[in-house]
Amino acid sequence: MVRAALATKRRIGRGPTPFAAYLPAASVVAASLLAALPIVATNGWFPNFGFLVLLGWRLLRSDPWPPWWAAPMGFLNDLITGMPIGLSVTLWSATMLALDLIDRRTMWRDYWIEWALAALFIAIDQWSQWRIAAAMGARVPFSAMAPAIAISICMFPVSAWLVSRIDAWRLGR
Amino acid sequence: MATARPGWSRRAQYGLFFSFLAVIGGIIVGLFLLALSLVAPQQYQAVRGAALDVTGPVAGGLREVSSTVKGVVTGAGNYWDAADQNGRLKQENAAMRRQILKANAVIQENRQLKAVLDLRKREQDTVAVGRIVGSSFSSPRRYAILSVGSNAGVRPEMPVRAPDGLVGRVVETGALASRVLLVSDRASIVPGRLLRGGRPVIAQGRGDGTIDVHPLEVGRNPFRRGDIIITSGTGGLYPPLVPIARVVKLDDDGAIAVPLADPANISFAIVEPPYEPAASVDAQTNAEGP
Repeated sequence: MVRAALATKRRIGRGPTPFAAYLPAASVVAASLLAALPIVATNGWFPNFGFLVLLGWRLLRSDPWPPWWAAPMGFLNDLITGMPIGLSVTLWSATMLALDLIDRRTMWRDYWIEWALAALFIAIDQWSQWRIAAAMGARVPFSAMAPAIAISICMFPVSAWLVSRIDAWRLGR
Repeated sequence: MATARPGWSRRAQYGLFFSFLAVIGGIIVGLFLLALSLVAPQQYQAVRGAALDVTGPVAGGLREVSSTVKGVVTGAGNYWDAADQNGRLKQENAAMRRQILKANAVIQENRQLKAVLDLRKREQDTVAVGRIVGSSFSSPRRYAILSVGSNAGVRPEMPVRAPDGLVGRVVETGALASRVLLVSDRASIVPGRLLRGGRPVIAQGRGDGTIDVHPLEVGRNPFRRGDIIITSGTGGLYPPLVPIARVVKLDDDGAIAVPLADPANISFAIVEPPYEPAASVDAQTNAEGP
């Protein structure tokens, strides 16, 4: 389907918003900041919001931000969420790199492939959190991570939808 | 970077190549930072404290809103079953009064015995009182954010308790907020004992809001459903006689317990100095970081 067919009718006189180039990165940081919400969770089943939005942007577009921005955004995420510093820096940069390599190979994409890719990266993200926690003396059985992974995978379409709305708004479509 | 070649423009090709290098650089820097936070987490104390100072007060402000909403909802729920609840509470009240009388007698006897033994009462003063304003969301670790920081005298390795029971211990401090390792975290190991009988046990978190309790001595499983675990004061970090958890389920060689101080519901948390400061200095030098 041609994407233009899905667009709204009112298009005359609307252009990109002033900070269109920075909005994707800003939305990732805003998603990370959700960790400052005053919710006291007894289990860690909430998704890693920053990572979900990062994946949403990167799967929607190949160039939402210069790839190296993933490192500082990951650093902010580590600081805000209290993860070991460097975990998101590494993981988010590696995700950008891996998705670029995957982009070279894939001939076509659809929503199912994007969701499957996102599921894979979410699983890797949760696994590395689990591995690092184990290295720091908090070894829980990996099965304890299963609900968190399932919830994050189910949340991905929501974040992808949200990202596509932000994208349409920032470009004035 | 999306396609193999952005066309014939040399400039675009170089741009692509350098952004590729930059990402690899990002990964290397990240691995370095990660290795540092594994071996020397105290290096990050300042920057993490600063981040806590930014996010902590935000969470504190929002917490007011969410607790009001929650209060309205649970408040409405309380009216639902009021007559039944009233009868049950009256019964509990009577039982409680009998227990208090008993406890008063024990306290008096205890005071007399201590006077006989000439034991000096250990002063247990409060460092600061704060509120739990947030927690770690998406990780196998269980941390909470406390609304007081080093300005109020809070330092890492201080035990945190609520009126209901033990909450955890401070691991990082900012000027205005601090991060608390909850007793339900896997890395939190609290020496305790059974209230009934006083057998020494070890309480280790399970990372999902519950606690594993194991007896120190091997033998028959000493736990029963409903048993209360209290701290023993061994190790010198946590003060003795603070309730930790209630046993809800038995397993092979121990039991699963639920913390008595639910961090989501406690109204305020009390930070106390380490029970025996000398012991906690040792603990700090070989402490596992956050």
